[in-house]
Amino acid sequence: MKELRQLRQENLETIFHPKSVAIVGTNNVKGTVPHDILYNILKADFNGIVYPVSPREKSIKGIKAYKYVVDIPDDVDLAILVFPSSVCHMALEQCGQKGIKSVIIISAGYKEVGEAGLKREQQLIEIARKYDMSFIGPNCLGVINTAPETRLDASFAREMPDQGNIGFLSQSGALCTAVLDYASAKHIGFSKFISFGNKADISEIDLLFYLMNDEETKVILMYLEEVSDGLALMDAAREVIEKSGKPILIIKSGRTDEGASAAASHTGSLTGADEVCDAGFEQAGIIRCDNLEEMFNRARAFAYQPPPETEKVAIITNAGGPGVLTTDAAISRGLKLAKFSEETTAILKKALPATANINNPVDVIGDARSDRYLAAIQAAFDDQDVSGVFVILTPQSMTDIDTIAADVARIAEGQTKPIYTSFMGEKDVASGIDILQRHKIPHYILPESMCDAYKAVYHFNKNVKDKVHQLPSLDNIQGELARKLMDKVKSNGRSYIPEVECIEVLGSYGLPAPQGKLATTAEEAVQIAEKIGYPVVMKVVSDDIIHKSDVKGVELNLGSADEVKDAWERIHSNALSAMPDATITGLYVIKMVKGAEEIILGIKRDPSFGPVLLFGLGGIFVEVFKDVSFGVAPLSREDAMHMLEQTKAYKILKGTRGRNPRDMDSIVDALLRLGQLAVDFPEIEELDINPLFVLDEGQGCVLGDARMILTTTE
Amino acid sequence: MEKNEILTQVKDVVSNVLKVDATEISDDSNFIFDLGADSMQSVELVAGFEEEFDIEMDQDKALEIQTIQDAVNFITEYL
Repeated sequence: MKELRQLRQENLETIFHPKSVAIVGTNNVKGTVPHDILYNILKADFNGIVYPVSPREKSIKGIKAYKYVVDIPDDVDLAILVFPSSVCHMALEQCGQKGIKSVIIISAGYKEVGEAGLKREQQLIEIARKYDMSFIGPNCLGVINTAPETRLDASFAREMPDQGNIGFLSQSGALCTAVLDYASAKHIGFSKFISFGNKADISEIDLLFYLMNDEETKVILMYLEEVSDGLALMDAAREVIEKSGKPILIIKSGRTDEGASAAASHTGSLTGADEVCDAGFEQAGIIRCDNLEEMFNRARAFAYQPPPETEKVAIITNAGGPGVLTTDAAISRGLKLAKFSEETTAILKKALPATANINNPVDVIGDARSDRYLAAIQAAFDDQDVSGVFVILTPQSMTDIDTIAADVARIAEGQTKPIYTSFMGEKDVASGIDILQRHKIPHYILPESMCDAYKAVYHFNKNVKDKVHQLPSLDNIQGELARKLMDKVKSNGRSYIPEVECIEVLGSYGLPAPQGKLATTAEEAVQIAEKIGYPVVMKVVSDDIIHKSDVKGVELNLGSADEVKDAWERIHSNALSAMPDATITGLYVIKMVKGAEEIILGIKRDPSFGPVLLFGLGGIFVEVFKDVSFGVAPLSREDAMHMLEQTKAYKILKGTRGRNPRDMDSIVDALLRLGQLAVDFPEIEELDINPLFVLDEGQGCVLGDARMILTTTE
Repeated sequence: MEKNEILTQVKDVVSNVLKVDATEISDDSNFIFDLGADSMQSVELVAGFEEEFDIEMDQDKALEIQTIQDAVNFITEYL
């Protein structure tokens, strides 16, 4: 697998920096993909040799055409296939024979059209493997490299974008053209622009690794429709961020919850595909964006300006209302207003009129011209407490918008602190915004977007970029015992594993089992209760009963032998009247835990990300309150703690309104062990621990109840 | 009708429809990959074969034909 990754990296280098390109299947018919690809390559002033390959044409655009790629007398670095899918494999075979290693397959008609197309796609992969070739596509728009030494526009987009430091990857070709148009209007440039289509060979993961090492790329953006291998994407993202420090921003479309409703456990019903994707991305440091606007708002902040050192900003505005709006937006996103030094306020007092507000947010007053803005911005840049400057402008009759924009661009040059702008309005401020955008000063229509972008950059640099993903070593894990127990519970073909056996398995992984035992007679139940001490809890144990409380199969707080005996009768009677055909194995007698907080932990297997863990406040209303968080196993200690911090339950567990703080370290430990169990036993489809009793700080936690669903298609 | 005769007539039709010199057409020539047929010409080829041999072919299956030899075999079934 590693060899293939290396091969693809080598071949990607040629895809982006070819010295010669063959367009295989091109023609002379304007407005067709085979023609326009060739036309775009020529129009972009590609710094290399172009070979049209066409079965019928003798020349195209004045360039000699070859009937077959193998007829080209010289070496060819890159082939772009634009034949119909029915014959693309023939062209690819010839590329292999010609010794071409790097290929872009534009043609559609593959996996996306069904079974026949999937077979054609498989054929392409087989040919590629045979000749050590790598290809992007099929079913894609193509690839663009704006680097001046190459200038390759191997796409059928309308325009080649400007050079820039943003790398953009997209599974959707059509979205690429919309992005290019959007970016063109805002003067956003790209380093590499890649439509990877069906990703039959080169995937988004290969491209992430390529952009990790690409010196032209500072920020990586991606549009994804499906995450084929979530764990691989997470690993790749972590590696890219750790080695290059480049942020990865992804739009993942398709926020539906297929499968969650049919789940048999609380964890199953609470764990939707999108929540898992959110959790996986966050754990890996990927910044998930909801839409293109949000993605590019953040991307420009990353790409154009230095990162802020702290969350403290200065706001410079010529209007009070927008200043307040910006302050609200900043504070609500966790940013802070910098506190100016006396020196700064003295400078501002001297430079601004008496009516101006010289504290943060600085109001330079509605009649301000560029000189006031410049003085205030410079003072803010020079203040040690300020880490970033927000410039707000509203267009008033005397506001010299364009001059202010040009001066903001000038003063921002060479600064080590970022400056973001929001020229509010539309028509009157349009030319000023254009000036800002041309000079790579991030501009935002809304102050809220500006604050969001600042926060994204600040958070990434402070908390993500240098984060090391280290898995903890866990003691007291009895793998062999767990395997034996698991083999035993699986031996009779059951998919539902009830409490007693489930707790045994969990206990073998160091999760704290309750004091107690299975009783098969009332007398035995009393003996157990006497041994572990009253009060006790008794629960029905049956392979046929999943929800014990639904059949009134649980009795709490039993304080004597008589109460145990009475409860024995009631539980049997209740369970059998609710489910007459159920076979009751016995009753589980355990020590009653009092004064603990009840939480839920769980496992669910996600088709893309694998084992997913759930944490939340427990009890029977867990699905009502949905105060839960998710994590993809295996977790680091920080990941597990972050799962706790994401919930409202965290405040309760920390101790609020006189309640004792609970033992959160033991929850983190339980999550880590559960994650390891989920990784080691892929046959666990779902698992609920509900409740886990969490005692006061330092006193640990105890399993209250648990059940497990095993996969039936192992 | 002999297969050789069918082959010659198929090549004639292909040469006329695709405007390709008959000498460039071999028995295993692929209409798209070797002779550069586009989707419109593929439809025209089917129509050309039907007229030349006075047959009515299954359109979907006929459009799946990729080579001269495939065309000869397919047409033979109708004669």
